[in-house]
Amino acid sequence: MRRRENAVAFVVAAFALGLATGCGSGADSGTDVIRLGAYSVVREAFHDRLIPDFQERWKAKTGRSVRFEESYNASGAQARAIASGFDADVAVLSHSGDMEILVQAGRVSAEWSANPLKGIVTNSVVVIGHRDGNPKAISDWSDLAKPGVGVLYPDPKTSGGARWNINAIYGAAFLKEKAAGGDTPDLEVVRDLMARVQANVVNMDASGRQSMATFSERGIGDAVVTYENEILLRKREGKPIAYVVPESTLLIESPAALVESSVERHKNREVAAEFLAFLESPEGQAMLADYGFRPVDPEQAAKVGFPRPAKLFTMADLGGWERVQDALYGPKGLWTSLFSGRGGK
Amino acid sequence: MAVVETTRAGGDTGRPDLALRAVTLGYLGLMVVLPLLALGVQSVTAGPNAFWRALSDPQAVHALKLTVVTALAMVAINVVMGTATAWVLVRYNFPGKGFMNALIDLPFAVPTVVTGLMLVLLYGPSSVLGTILGRYGLSVIYAQPGIVLALLFVSYPFVIRSVQPVLMELDRAEEEAAATMGASAWLTFRRVTLPTLLPAVLTGAALSFSRALGEFGSVIMVAGNQPMKTKTAPLYVFGEVESGNRLGAMVVSLVLLGISLGVLMLLNLYQRRGRPEHGD
Repeated sequence: MRRRENAVAFVVAAFALGLATGCGSGADSGTDVIRLGAYSVVREAFHDRLIPDFQERWKAKTGRSVRFEESYNASGAQARAIASGFDADVAVLSHSGDMEILVQAGRVSAEWSANPLKGIVTNSVVVIGHRDGNPKAISDWSDLAKPGVGVLYPDPKTSGGARWNINAIYGAAFLKEKAAGGDTPDLEVVRDLMARVQANVVNMDASGRQSMATFSERGIGDAVVTYENEILLRKREGKPIAYVVPESTLLIESPAALVESSVERHKNREVAAEFLAFLESPEGQAMLADYGFRPVDPEQAAKVGFPRPAKLFTMADLGGWERVQDALYGPKGLWTSLFSGRGGK
Repeated sequence: MAVVETTRAGGDTGRPDLALRAVTLGYLGLMVVLPLLALGVQSVTAGPNAFWRALSDPQAVHALKLTVVTALAMVAINVVMGTATAWVLVRYNFPGKGFMNALIDLPFAVPTVVTGLMLVLLYGPSSVLGTILGRYGLSVIYAQPGIVLALLFVSYPFVIRSVQPVLMELDRAEEEAAATMGASAWLTFRRVTLPTLLPAVLTGAALSFSRALGEFGSVIMVAGNQPMKTKTAPLYVFGEVESGNRLGAMVVSLVLLGISLGVLMLLNLYQRRGRPEHGD
């Protein structure tokens, strides 16, 4: 089967190559090129701020200009595209689970997280956006389970953001049960909360961005589960959305890495690595913070003044991406099980 | 569509003729058969057990059922309203008829995502209409009626456009004869006109049904996309592709393809049998 897949991929790649060379993208000697394969949430911060700034820095440092070919897509789709041949030099993805896809495909070094920031370039937290004046009195995850509350989050099948959201709801309940029950947390209680929230879900959009649009532009639902930076971006654009940070919520850690196979081929390791270092630098982090992302370095985060939730937990506290992916979304996963009951509540 | 078919079976077998046939067959193979074959091969290679497991997933089964049921509901409405519309366009003259005729094909030109968005803005829970409907406990958008609504829009022209030409060609003498013999208008329609129209109606129905099975863009906007509730088969396929379950996606696609192929082949069979009766 593998071989057949490769054959198909080869035909597609050959076709794409034909198209690409047809368009002619030969870089001249004074210009470097970085192909960026990123997830859609960072588009504004990268395109409007980080990239123009880096271009100036690179020019000042080396006298060469650097051109970016930017691709933004849903994190999972982007990871699969890069894994099957899209030659991005730098990958910026929603979560390390997607980065592991690239490691398995041999595109990204297994050591990608072996640096001071552990390969993470942006942080955020999972929050709940609500209507002005909070008419449904929403302050915590359990409020999303109350009857008559219309909830929005995207489909975890298609959206990395939805996985962060659902993991946060799951994690908060799971850790609470674990604190109460010791070694054997009562998963039924956790599942019950997830089921009642899911029953309140009005629409599951394909992506987090679309979910936000459904909530704010189309006025649907009473609450939207989303990244804090998505809400802060709206505020920046003059369309503020009221929100609460639940007492117990999940720290979103989004990674970036060099795509080894691409920088080898394009011979642009130096400039690509420099860009990655710029993302991690205090200056880069400050720009990201300006767009609503929490700086990864805790000291800098404290300086920028994001409120720290009382019980902030990480994916590592839940056992890591791989374990949670399986425990929730696998064939026998907790989330999957919400729909396998007869009639599907 | 059903009636107009080439009568030059055989014909001369000159070289250009042969070449043309080879080229068109090859084109069909390249454009349609090859991709479908790839789909078939890919989904079968996993073996019968994996195939069956993917097919019997409750979410997959529900998605397929929902797709077929909503498509059938759409077809039922389309058959009645489409025939009536064609009737009005052919038999009556009124100001703005030309404009109406042009309007009918427009749904094909609208990107389906825009169709979905339009419907959400019009009938969505926060719209004026949606609020009124909600007061009576009716939800359209993010519920199954929304799916039918979207399918109706995207398949609007099919029945009309296949009935219209047949109705235009129809010899009115038979209807007049029936009327002279005292048959009521309804009886004349049922016993004289309808049998002639039926093949065209069925063609339109089958085409719109097939179109509806695969409809994605508009449905993802209006359906709600909830597993075991409002997730149709194309949405299920999208979700499985995006979450890396390629087999699950292909197996469900294959079933959709099979249903579609079956319907179109039945139609073909019916037309072949039906033709001599109507003396075309």
